[in-house]
Amino acid sequence: MAAGAEAEADEEELEPLFDYSRVQPTMAFSFDDTDIEKSDIFVHCNKRRKVADGDGDANADEKGDKGEQKAAKAAAVVDLGEEDWLPPPPPPKPKSTVTDESEQSSVLKELRLQKQAMAKFAESADDFLEKLAQTARQKVEARIPTEHIDLDKSPERHEAREKVVVTVQDKAGHHQFRLYKDEKFGKLFRAYAKKVNLSVADLTFAFDGDKVDAESTPEDLGLEDEDMVEVLHKTR
Amino acid sequence: MSGGIARGRLAEERKAWRKNHPHGFVAKPETLADGTVNLMIWHCTIPGKQGTDWEGGYFPLTLHFSEDYPSKPPKCKFPQGFFHPNVYPSGTVCLSILNEDSGWRPAITVKQILVGIQDLLDQPNPADPAQTDGYHLFIQDPTEYKRRVRLQAKQYPPIV
Repeated sequence: MAAGAEAEADEEELEPLFDYSRVQPTMAFSFDDTDIEKSDIFVHCNKRRKVADGDGDANADEKGDKGEQKAAKAAAVVDLGEEDWLPPPPPPKPKSTVTDESEQSSVLKELRLQKQAMAKFAESADDFLEKLAQTARQKVEARIPTEHIDLDKSPERHEAREKVVVTVQDKAGHHQFRLYKDEKFGKLFRAYAKKVNLSVADLTFAFDGDKVDAESTPEDLGLEDEDMVEVLHKTR
Repeated sequence: MSGGIARGRLAEERKAWRKNHPHGFVAKPETLADGTVNLMIWHCTIPGKQGTDWEGGYFPLTLHFSEDYPSKPPKCKFPQGFFHPNVYPSGTVCLSILNEDSGWRPAITVKQILVGIQDLLDQPNPADPAQTDGYHLFIQDPTEYKRRVRLQAKQYPPIV
């Protein structure tokens, strides 16, 4: 009866894999084959795990040393796995081991995906903040000064040509003039001289330490709104 | 990241300078032969303060920024052999606010640096000499020192 029960158990377990249920010696051999196959599966799972760990290390740390250390740890894990696998009965343990390992792999993958998603979210958040900062700066910079002298008030010409506000600074302070970007500086010089009651011939204008030619334009010098041009008095 | 911080800060400094700076001062990043701008080196001009022996001089100064700016101060250099008690023979300026271990703070702007150096011109610090020529004359022969200063001011005339 006991032998019969054992035979039935063996037959039930092995039917899906083999057709030699009637030959007992063959069954024994099949049992051995089962062990070998499951060992191979275990090895494959270990290999996959090593590869996964390696990839994780490369992505996370980008350091060879740590990668090697974790590889060593992986090897240690493999040894522990083998020890755990041997004591219990072969048939059920391998399956559970395979399942556990596959679960671990999927969990690791999910963690990596979530990590990447979080990183992307953080990057997009940073981009958003930068855009906000830039917008704020632009708004501040775009504020038009309340007082400035418009050298040309013709509305018709205003539509076609771009203007720029230039600050003219002397030792006493500064004045702002609004003129077309393609307008010659000579006009600005004369307007300033008239405003301060001086002869334009006695004045020199400079931007970034270089003389400004009366025939040049704000566009030539790359002036932007509220850039500062200085006035120097010629020495006699 | 640190390099990005330095260049970002310098771009902001340049933008602020273009719109507001003391009269007579110049501060602009170096322009290379191909027309590109090198933000890490600025060519500046410091006018001698009105009412001092330095008046009338427009002294060229070069600022060298490192990738660690603004954590570290720039190195500021007058031309080699510049006559001043606190300027090394190499032209490097010796000033507390330019010393990382002394008065430097990241919040100090280019404008403050240049105005600070202008103040230093007429108010040397004899306790911290950087060259023998300027130091000795300043201490032992004030008349000759003044003459040397006025002479140097004439050597760096304005663009007018």
